[in-house]
Amino acid sequence: MPEVDTRSAAIAGLRTAAGVPLLLVSGGMAGFGALAHDIGFAAWEAVMAPVVVWALPAQVVAAELHAAGADLVAIALAAALTSMRFFPMAVALLPTFRAGGLLSRLLQAHLMSATSWAFVMRPSAPRDPRERLAFHTAFTLTCIAAAALAAFAGWLGAAALPKPLALGLLFMNAAFFMVLLAESRNRQVLLAVALGVVLCPPIHAVLPEASMLLAGVLGGTGAFLFGDRLRSGS
Amino acid sequence: MSGGEHAGYAVLLAAAAATFVWRALGAVLVGRVDPEGPVVRWFTLTSYALLAALVVRLVALPTGSLAGIPLAIRLAAVAVTLGVWWLSRRNVLAAVLSGSACIVAAALWLAGG
Repeated sequence: MPEVDTRSAAIAGLRTAAGVPLLLVSGGMAGFGALAHDIGFAAWEAVMAPVVVWALPAQVVAAELHAAGADLVAIALAAALTSMRFFPMAVALLPTFRAGGLLSRLLQAHLMSATSWAFVMRPSAPRDPRERLAFHTAFTLTCIAAAALAAFAGWLGAAALPKPLALGLLFMNAAFFMVLLAESRNRQVLLAVALGVVLCPPIHAVLPEASMLLAGVLGGTGAFLFGDRLRSGS
Repeated sequence: MSGGEHAGYAVLLAAAAATFVWRALGAVLVGRVDPEGPVVRWFTLTSYALLAALVVRLVALPTGSLAGIPLAIRLAAVAVTLGVWWLSRRNVLAAVLSGSACIVAAALWLAGG
């Protein structure tokens, strides 16, 4: 059995992060930073967001609803709905580290992101559980550090850049999410996305504050029920 | 555009707690739930639908400065984003930068004209 080398694994994690993942994270978080400035967040709040929340959709949902005047319960509920994906991700990822204590599992669950999940689940990631743990920790800490810097850069950009460029930064949030949604191959997921898009405007006309939440729950449930029928019918 | 009635950090803490709940639930229930089961599937589908509704709100019903850009241009930027993503063989960065460049160009044109 080869010797376990957590130090090399950590360096590999850092190196893997310092490429496409870092660009994606920075782009997304720069967009969030610009949005944070647009809705009146302080610079330190923009920087803390990726560190404490570390979920771009939840951050953008919270900022967006805050700007619309929603109360904290509605904000938390909507953020929780966008972050549900972390539950199945953690269930699939954490056993591959065989991290003993609950504290260690909670820490890795907090560090985890959609990107880190995808990279550590790739065949090229280390095999040994301890090396995987080191790889994932280094990978995610690198991404979070970049995210905090990018959020600050985006906030500064929105404050100091000419207005047209600041607007471009703001649009990045929507652009990132639409590409993320377009990337899904699963038909049931695409149905959920389509229902969310179609249901949101009419609900918004009647109940503007609850449109995101209702379109999400109705669209998800519709895709769940209809998709089940599709599966049993085929 | 000013924010809502709560302090920014309170909004962040609400979002942080709401996100951490799911991460913690996964860490606690490891090995005891089926990641492919119907409950997890409903959760996944609902979060996708909600994300889709978020995109609609960001693009079609913006609350902030983007509202200053006409809807037709915002929709054109969506078409460019998805079109470039498709043509560039799913290059996320190229797609996002092209879509944002549309908004920048439109804003410059609006300011100039």
